[in-house]
This record gives sequence, structure tokens and C-alpha cells, in this order.
Amino acid sequence: MAASTAMRIYPFMPGGAAGSTKLISDAVVLSDLTGRPRFGLKGGGSAAWLAAQGVTLPAVNRIGDHRGMRVLRLGNEDILLLAEDAGETLAEVKAAWQAATAPKGYSSWREEGWAWMRLSGPGLAEAMSALCALDLRPQKFGADDIAQTRVGHIEAVTFRSPAGFDILFDVTASAYFARAVAAVAGHTGKHRG
Amino acid sequence: MKLLTCPMNGLRNIDEFQSFGPVRARPDPDATADTEWSRHLFRAENRKGIVTEWWRHVPSNYFFLAERDLVSNEIICTFDASELRDRA
Repeated sequence: MAASTAMRIYPFMPGGAAGSTKLISDAVVLSDLTGRPRFGLKGGGSAAWLAAQGVTLPAVNRIGDHRGMRVLRLGNEDILLLAEDAGETLAEVKAAWQAATAPKGYSSWREEGWAWMRLSGPGLAEAMSALCALDLRPQKFGADDIAQTRVGHIEAVTFRSPAGFDILFDVTASAYFARAVAAVAGHTGKHRG
Repeated sequence: MKLLTCPMNGLRNIDEFQSFGPVRARPDPDATADTEWSRHLFRAENRKGIVTEWWRHVPSNYFFLAERDLVSNEIICTFDASELRDRA
């Protein structure tokens, strides 16, 4: 296994599995955050271990905050920490978890198993309504809500970010997802009478 | 479009779910004859009435239970598996 300091190749990077797929950047903008730090814990003991570290856990399908990290509660014992701008805090939590003794849950390996993409731009609402069947209007779907559903026909976790919607899904579907978003974006604004 | 209410995620397209069949008692390995094992493993009930089934919400990998009318195919209610344990 490569050392943890080794540079990881993510799908949209040169040499990655989706290296030749372009991310749309028009009325709808798709950006790739897959390389940003995150850490997921799952299984018995996960919630108790994080709570013991001082992490205030939100209810299931809600988002909390811990020292600049977003805390996503995907299930009773399925928690994901996203550290877009709090990599050091995340590294501390991760190091403490690695040094801890069980019960502490197990790593759900979200930093490699899941892609993390962000949809934004002026055409966002229309594109999102074509990609996802849920009612994601602000009055129905708040800033701390999580939807575990289908986005672009694949299983995904989606939630609001200041710029738009963040979407987490199986990293192996990266190229497919980028094409699905591009296809939907190509149709937005064209069917108005 | 058929809809199903997931106890954890709310009302969703039934396309997001996978059925795992009826809740059944496990045979006692020490007191079950081969014919009974064979029936348990290979034969499915085909009766009328209400069945309690396992379902899974695929995007969240959440398993729960649903009561379904086998004649009308109507889903009567859905609930977390812990409720069945509490009923017992």
C-alpha cells in the first residue's frame, strides 16, 4: 500500500479514470472536490466515539458543525466529516481515531470510495430539478438538511452548500455523473414556451 | 409512480427501494429435519393476507419493515425494525 503522503490520483485528474471527461462550466457549473479532506465512521461505537471527542452530533439526515468541519449524520452509526477548509482539524480527529482502542466504529473509507462534487451557477435550480426527484426548494430543504436519494439516476447524498448543492456518490460513477449533468444542463432553459 | 415512506428518509419513489422478502422465524438447527430445512430454504408461501417484509432504502442502506396486503399490494405501514423487537 502506498504511503499516506503519496499523491492520490482522483478520477478527473490527468491520468485518472475520468481524466478525459470535461466538467461543465456554463449556466450550470460542476466542480470536483473529491480531493478535499473527509473522514467517515460507521458501525457500532462510531457515534459514541465522536461524541467523546466533543463532536456534537446532529439528528439523522441533518448537518452539524465542529470546528469548521461539516458533520453529516447519514445514519445512527454512520457519520461523515467534511473538511473543505479545516484539513488540520480533520487530521487531528483522524489521528486520534487511529490511536484509539475499540469500540470506535470502523472507517467507511469515504475519502476514496466517494466522489464529492458541487453543482452551482445560475441554472442550478432547473438542473437540479431535472437531476433529482425530491423537492429541494429552500422552503422545503434547508441548509442543514441531507437527502439520501438518487441524483442523475445514481444513489447519492446531497445537501446545500453556500454555492449550490454538494453531491456525494460512488467515485466509480464520476464520469457518468459528469455526463449526466452536462446532458441535463444542455436542455435547461430550452423548453420554455 | 409508486411511492413508499421510508421511516428514516420519508416519502420516496419505490424505485429507491429493494425488497428482501417476508420476516420469517429461523429454524432451530438442532431440531429441524431435512424436509423442514428444504421447505424453509426453497419454498415460498403463497397465501392471502398481510405480510411483514424486510425492505432496504438503497441510497442510505437502511433496512426497515413494511406491512403489505398481499391481495391489493397496498403498503399499510412501514416502521423501524426495533419496533418489531419492542412488540415481541
